[in-house]
Amino acid sequence: MLAELDKLLGSCMFEIDQCKDLKKLEGIRVAVFGKNGKITEKMKCLKNMPQEERKRVGARINEIKNEILERLKAKLGDLEMIELEKKLESEKIDISMPVDVQSYGYIHPISKVFSEIATILNGYGFRFVEGPDIESEYFNFDTMNMPEYHPARTMHDTFYLNMPADEHGRKLLRTHTSPVETRCMLENKPPLRFFTIGRTFRSDYDATHTPMFDQVEMLVVEKDVGMAQLKWLIKDILKKFFNLEKLSVRFRPSFFPFTEPSAEVDINYSIVNGKMIFGTGDKWLEIGGCGVSHPNVLKAGGVDPSQYQGIAFGLGIERLASLKYGVPDLRNYFESNERWRETFGFSPMDL
Amino acid sequence: MRFSFNWLKKYLETEQSIAQVAESLTAIGLEVDNLLDPEVAFKNFKLVKIEKAERHPNADRLQICSVVDGEGNHHQIVCGAPNAREGLIAILAMPGAIIPASNEILKKSKIRGVESQGMMCSFDELAIEAENECDGIIEVPEGTDLKTSVADVLGFDGGIFDVSITPNRGDCFSVKGIARDLAAYGVGKFVENQPKPCKVDPTISMNIDYEDEAVFNYAPQMSFRVIRGLKNGESPKWLKDSLKNAGLNSISAVVDIANYCMIDCGSPFQIYDLDKVEGKFNIRFSYKNERFSDFKGEQYSLNSSILISEDDNHEPLCLLGIKSGEQITCDENTKNILIESAYFKPECIARTGIYLDAISDSRTRFERGIDRDNCIDALEQVSSMILENCGGSAGEVLTIGNTNYPKISIKMTKQKLKSVSGCDIDWGRVKEILCKLGLTIVSEEDESATFTVPSWRHDLTIEEDLIEEVLRINGYNNAQEKPLSVISIGEDASLKDFDQLSNLRKLLAFRNMSEVVAYSFTKREYAEAFREDRKIILIVNAITMDFEVMRPSLLPNLLKTAVLSLNYGERSVSIFEVGHVFADFCDQETHISGIRVGAANSRNWLNKKRNYDVFDVKSDFFSMLNFYGVNVKNVKIEVGAPSYYHPSRSGAVYLGKKLLGWFGELHPRINKLFGISDRIMAFEMLPAINEVKKKRQREYNNKIFPKIERDFSFIFKGQDSVGKVINDICKLDNRIAKVDIFDSFRISSTQKSIGITVVLDAVNRTLTENEANEVSDKVVSYVEKLGGRLRNQ
Repeated sequence: MLAELDKLLGSCMFEIDQCKDLKKLEGIRVAVFGKNGKITEKMKCLKNMPQEERKRVGARINEIKNEILERLKAKLGDLEMIELEKKLESEKIDISMPVDVQSYGYIHPISKVFSEIATILNGYGFRFVEGPDIESEYFNFDTMNMPEYHPARTMHDTFYLNMPADEHGRKLLRTHTSPVETRCMLENKPPLRFFTIGRTFRSDYDATHTPMFDQVEMLVVEKDVGMAQLKWLIKDILKKFFNLEKLSVRFRPSFFPFTEPSAEVDINYSIVNGKMIFGTGDKWLEIGGCGVSHPNVLKAGGVDPSQYQGIAFGLGIERLASLKYGVPDLRNYFESNERWRETFGFSPMDL
Repeated sequence: MRFSFNWLKKYLETEQSIAQVAESLTAIGLEVDNLLDPEVAFKNFKLVKIEKAERHPNADRLQICSVVDGEGNHHQIVCGAPNAREGLIAILAMPGAIIPASNEILKKSKIRGVESQGMMCSFDELAIEAENECDGIIEVPEGTDLKTSVADVLGFDGGIFDVSITPNRGDCFSVKGIARDLAAYGVGKFVENQPKPCKVDPTISMNIDYEDEAVFNYAPQMSFRVIRGLKNGESPKWLKDSLKNAGLNSISAVVDIANYCMIDCGSPFQIYDLDKVEGKFNIRFSYKNERFSDFKGEQYSLNSSILISEDDNHEPLCLLGIKSGEQITCDENTKNILIESAYFKPECIARTGIYLDAISDSRTRFERGIDRDNCIDALEQVSSMILENCGGSAGEVLTIGNTNYPKISIKMTKQKLKSVSGCDIDWGRVKEILCKLGLTIVSEEDESATFTVPSWRHDLTIEEDLIEEVLRINGYNNAQEKPLSVISIGEDASLKDFDQLSNLRKLLAFRNMSEVVAYSFTKREYAEAFREDRKIILIVNAITMDFEVMRPSLLPNLLKTAVLSLNYGERSVSIFEVGHVFADFCDQETHISGIRVGAANSRNWLNKKRNYDVFDVKSDFFSMLNFYGVNVKNVKIEVGAPSYYHPSRSGAVYLGKKLLGWFGELHPRINKLFGISDRIMAFEMLPAINEVKKKRQREYNNKIFPKIERDFSFIFKGQDSVGKVINDICKLDNRIAKVDIFDSFRISSTQKSIGITVVLDAVNRTLTENEANEVSDKVVSYVEKLGGRLRNQ
């Protein structure tokens, strides 16, 4: 009997090992353990055996049963794995197919520079204020120390509007952001630190001028500020903006009616392979104007010039953008096509 | 202001090179716009004499010239100019020279097989306007030393400065003034060069009449001189060259001399051909609408506050200080002249100049202020030069008005100097600078000094002006730097609005819209199409039709921008702008507007191709509302978008009574106006968005209870606003968390089927089946009340 059992074990194991699909494996299981299965048959024989033998053979049958079950389970696992692999293989898709990558629109370089400048200036404690694009003669010129027949006033190429004049004179499109200085001083008591950014307008339209451009302007009104602080501030701002510690800044005497002394601000550059490289070389490029506020400007803003001094600095946003990001031709800022926006605009992640 | 280096040297003794002087000019605020430095411009150019000219063996029109330079070096030049001949002195450009006309570097070359070691130049090649028609290369006068510099031969007089003069520096509209500033800065020594009074024939005189004393409010001082028996002709070469270098054309000796002296000392002159003045010479104010024709024939209509001169014909001869008249112009027959050298009040000349829109060198100088004390010296200078060059005899100087007037004195304190400059400058140095600029010390105390301002510096009126002069001459870059004090501004809300707009820009950019910055003005016809019943603001002095009115909406310029891309063949444009609009003479308003035109997506295997539709811009608009914190369930969409929208495909968005903006398709007439064929979708968000209250957060419960979903299929009437019904269903019961439309189609022209999913959520407990049924019944009966019904019923 025992020899028979060993033979059975051997043949079952062989069959299991040879089995190559789940269905057949199930067949083997039934043939061994089913109602009339080989092991079941052997079990049936047990009851007719003498006790001593029954015990011995029974134990052996159990052993064999477990061994076969074990082997079956392992084989089942193997075959299921193979089956799954086959199924997964059959599910293959072509992942090289192109998909819809979420595209994005572009942020205008003016907004980008505006945001950079605002962050830098906020760091020195400058607050942001805004003024109207439509101004009156009084705020645009008179408070800025440009009396009616001052040549500087006629040089401003002003756009006038068909709006009724009021106590502040004719209505015009502001030619600079400076009137915001007066408005801010009238509304706040010194000490003051603020900046403004906005559109300005002059009737000039050629290759290097557009009738509209953006300015950023900052003003400090405090007891202890003068040329020394102004120079430090401008150098610091420009180094931060251009991210160039070695940038050289030059101050050149100039004239603005609203500052005394007045200076134009240049930064250094060199030309390497036809490209402007800032912070190296001995060529100079004008970037803005600055000065110590004229006492008449402080007075117009209700500030006592014997108590306070002001320092002011103004820059062109488009120029800053052009220099930092290489945007050519001023006109395209305001007359852009899709390709220009793609080339010079910024991802919304960069704003 | 243009002038030559040699002219400058008349007033400035200096050893410095033109490049060094130019650098100093810029450093003291007299910015050099352009510099013709002979060392640079005429490097590799020299004079040569043609020793031999033979025909080129391979070309009929070319010659092979053997030329010799001042050092005795020989060169072989192939030349095509017909006037190249033996003995001619010519200007040779050597290899390496930059040819002004082409801005290209000349290289050695072979012309038809013969080597040419340079090029003999024509006026055209040097970009110089030839005085006489000249065919071929420049012919340098015979006998000229070959070692002479080319710049000198061409009359460039040591080189040319083009300086831009700021409007405060009237005194620097003269070579003399510029020399004085340079000397103060340390560039050489200033030479006063005071003109000597010329010999006078006392018998020569005339009467200068004037209307009344009021003329002196306009012209405080006027000096005149008569010169008789002169001969007006062509100017000598040096004078012509000087004027050419200053950018002026030569006219006749008398006129050229007057122009020369004006540039030289800054005083403009008026010269009358006395034989053309009939009878009495009188100065008076003009009459209203009186006509005047200037020497070029330009017509002006005068007002009653312009000072003019007249004769017995009582018509204006000249607009004093501004323009000379046609009638009294000097010509080659002029024999007797009257010269006027005057001081006019700057604001009077400015007012007249602006009123008449008349530009002249004379106005430029008078309105910035000339040296009043120089009137008579200038008259002496111009008369001496005329006598010397044109002969004749001069009469006495006749002056009307006042030569005495108060001088301005300004006190400067050490304390103010320090507070403005922020640095310590040696007091001795301060005084030295101011004195070199022509100021004189009136009195001096321990902590201050008082200075008298010279007659030519109208810009110095307050202490700060003197401080600027000190800093300017001492060098801005020598001034100290001190950090700005650190201040804490605490919580700064000033950038809140700006940051909010930045985020909104990002949102729209993430939604595939690109930002545009367009002009604040637009074409009138565009503005008309978008103004509705508002008044548009007009630019009175617009420069082009495109920029004639202030935009009443951001849309017209966005459309114009879109056209730029569509014309380039782009199939789709999605752009937005955050900017100001203007109308009704009120303050500007900030709008956020966008347009979408063309293909929403291209045809591909994932998506069907489609064009943008109203629901794209509605989605833009509502996404913005959502980001702004508006509870979009409370938002109502009404009809009544502006007339430039499609009447049945647009809406006005309200929150309560606040109009937040519009969205929709634009009216076909807008397509026609801009020449856009695809349907245009647009939205405009109005500033009221900043006034809305933010939505509150819903109650939070840590435990999660299952939500129940119920689907309904309703049949509505064709014209029903389903969106409104959905919004109302949301509000029927607070257990309704969300309502979505899962299906929508038209059954017939009068009926549409809408599938709705209602999500129920009691937040803090599990809903019972009974409760869910109760809410469902509410929904159905509400829809039935509106005239809708459940499908399959």
